Amino acid sequence: MIVREVTVTNQAGVHTRPASMIVRTAARFKSEFLIQKDGYEINGKSIIGVMTLAAEQGTTLTLLFEGSDEEEAAEALAQLFAGGFGEVT
Amino acid sequence: MSNARDDIDTSLQGRETQAAIDEGGGETQVLQGLGVSPGIAIGPVHLYARASFSVEHRELAPEEVEAEVEHFEWAVSRAEHSLGKILALAREKLGDESVQIFDAQMLMLRDEALYQEVVHRIRNDRCNADYAVVMVMGQHRQRIEASEDEYLRDRANDLQDVEDRLVMHLRRGKHLSAIDPATIVVSENLTAADLLLFSRRGILGCALDRGGATSHVSIMARALGIPAVVSLHGRTDVVRNEDLVIVDGIEGRVIVNPDPATLATYRTRQERYGQLLLEHEQLAPLTAETLDDHRVCLRANVEFIEEVDVLEKHGAEGIGLLRTEVLLLMKGEITFDEEEQFNSYKQVVEAVAPEPTTFRLLDLGGDKMLPVAHREPNPFLGWRGIRVLLDKPEILMPQVRAVLRASAFGPARLLLPMVTNIDELRRFQAFLGEMKHDLDREGHPYDDALAVGIMVEVPGVALMADRFTHEVDFFSLGTNDLTQYTLAVDRGNDRVSELFQEIHPAVLRLIKRTIDAGDKRGIPVSLCGEMGGNPRVAPILVGLGIHEISASPSYLPEVKRVIRAIKRSEAVELATRALLATDAEEVGAMLDEWLTAHGCGFDQFL
Repeated sequence: MIVREVTVTNQAGVHTRPASMIVRTAARFKSEFLIQKDGYEINGKSIIGVMTLAAEQGTTLTLLFEGSDEEEAAEALAQLFAGGFGEVT
Repeated sequence: MSNARDDIDTSLQGRETQAAIDEGGGETQVLQGLGVSPGIAIGPVHLYARASFSVEHRELAPEEVEAEVEHFEWAVSRAEHSLGKILALAREKLGDESVQIFDAQMLMLRDEALYQEVVHRIRNDRCNADYAVVMVMGQHRQRIEASEDEYLRDRANDLQDVEDRLVMHLRRGKHLSAIDPATIVVSENLTAADLLLFSRRGILGCALDRGGATSHVSIMARALGIPAVVSLHGRTDVVRNEDLVIVDGIEGRVIVNPDPATLATYRTRQERYGQLLLEHEQLAPLTAETLDDHRVCLRANVEFIEEVDVLEKHGAEGIGLLRTEVLLLMKGEITFDEEEQFNSYKQVVEAVAPEPTTFRLLDLGGDKMLPVAHREPNPFLGWRGIRVLLDKPEILMPQVRAVLRASAFGPARLLLPMVTNIDELRRFQAFLGEMKHDLDREGHPYDDALAVGIMVEVPGVALMADRFTHEVDFFSLGTNDLTQYTLAVDRGNDRVSELFQEIHPAVLRLIKRTIDAGDKRGIPVSLCGEMGGNPRVAPILVGLGIHEISASPSYLPEVKRVIRAIKRSEAVELATRALLATDAEEVGAMLDEWLTAHGCGFDQFL
């Protein structure tokens, strides 16, 4: 299992569009993918789940990956967060 | 979405106050709303499924459970299908932003947090699918709405859209085919398309919680001649299936369980209204001319192809305002495609010829749907009308080309929405020139003399009308917006809507100024706001010297009847006094007195 801490950098936070980017990216991998925020955990492959995080700019999230391609998955997702989903940061 | 929420709030409040009245079930109750399609309908109620917030819980019998799961799957696939179409169109025509929203909605439909949970609830709690959808989505929404970040909180609306979409499909499958003929449909809301379908099943009338005078469903009701009362704000909650109700589309009243005396009165009124309609048909071929031979041209405001068929019956001399945004957007699918537009426009022009068809270019923004997911703090003062069109040649070009090409098949006029500065008109004229040049090169015929006019709906334009006359072929007064902008009042806002007064002397002065400017250069001035359809106001408009009035076709005969009963000279005297009045109340009192003194005959109905 891989655990990564990421910070939401884009100004608007994880709204609908970033949520769909997260889910689309996660869907490319077989590994299970969970996101935790303040003790609340959701399936990172569920767009509704990701949206209910209501993660605003500056929020720290814990990403958990488990499966055969967990390393690649963790890398792809971490990059997405680091890049601020291509939005204004 | 914020509007939808307001509606829910009002509706909930309405329900509480109604609960107090509701005690005496079976007793006569009068619900006051807004009459949007004249006529009287009497019949049993058919309650039509309401929106998500009033979904009711139903416990399923064990043998119903799997069928309900299948029904849910069917609704999801219908929703996917319709979203898929929207997505394809959005991809082709619109910006990335809207594509992503629809794409996200698509993902949500099969999301385990929705799909699996709903199926789980149907099976374990044995509840109906729409209830399960509302419960599941409600929980998710609550989490998002708990956020401190306003922007993220608003994302709950994206979930709401998916929820509404699913509930709509769940409802459609079950209820649409079940409307009984000869009933009065009572509902929270209907779309224009719903009403069209119901009319084919022979419904008598309808009463709705939502909607306003210019809602599509109201316009459709008028076109179809179905008496309708809207804006009941949750008051329909007291109505039960098969209650006997009267829908009075003239007074905007719904009478539930009328006593025998009331029923008798209304039967008489219904009969009289039938006679009035007959008189209207006899009026159709006559001209709108005052007793002292002053002629006013009466034209129709049209949104739907279906309305074109009723123009002759109501005596409309062509179309004074074709609101193209509805013609192109009503099916929930946006088309900016030139060929599709051309085919619709050609059909209208040919049907209306030899009378003219006035095409108002897409008036997007304000309260009307924008082609992109675009929100503004002040939409009525923002990106709308010609401002959008000049920024979006990809929308403007196919429409202008389609209108030009249609003009080869019958008389057409072009009308520009929401013009503020003459520069906008000039830029449009240059664009039009280019389009003509392209059509010449491609060998498409068109009417080179196609008249170009502007909507006068911004006070600044009315004040500057004399400067516009050198560069336009006609003016069209959009008095709904002109009144809103002049008196700084949003008529959709219940708290201030009383201040929306079209006969306010400030508005009348702007109308007068525009007409005077037109008269100086021989440019026709039309009026296409709602006040044009109000027969009580006709004497003032005639007195101000209006050349053309354009209104919903069914309102035209009454307007004509008044015009034929008055003298221009006396109307001028009335208008002159109205222009000098202090406020709208004074004008109203003046008008009432004048109408009574000149026996214009409204009391037969009031």
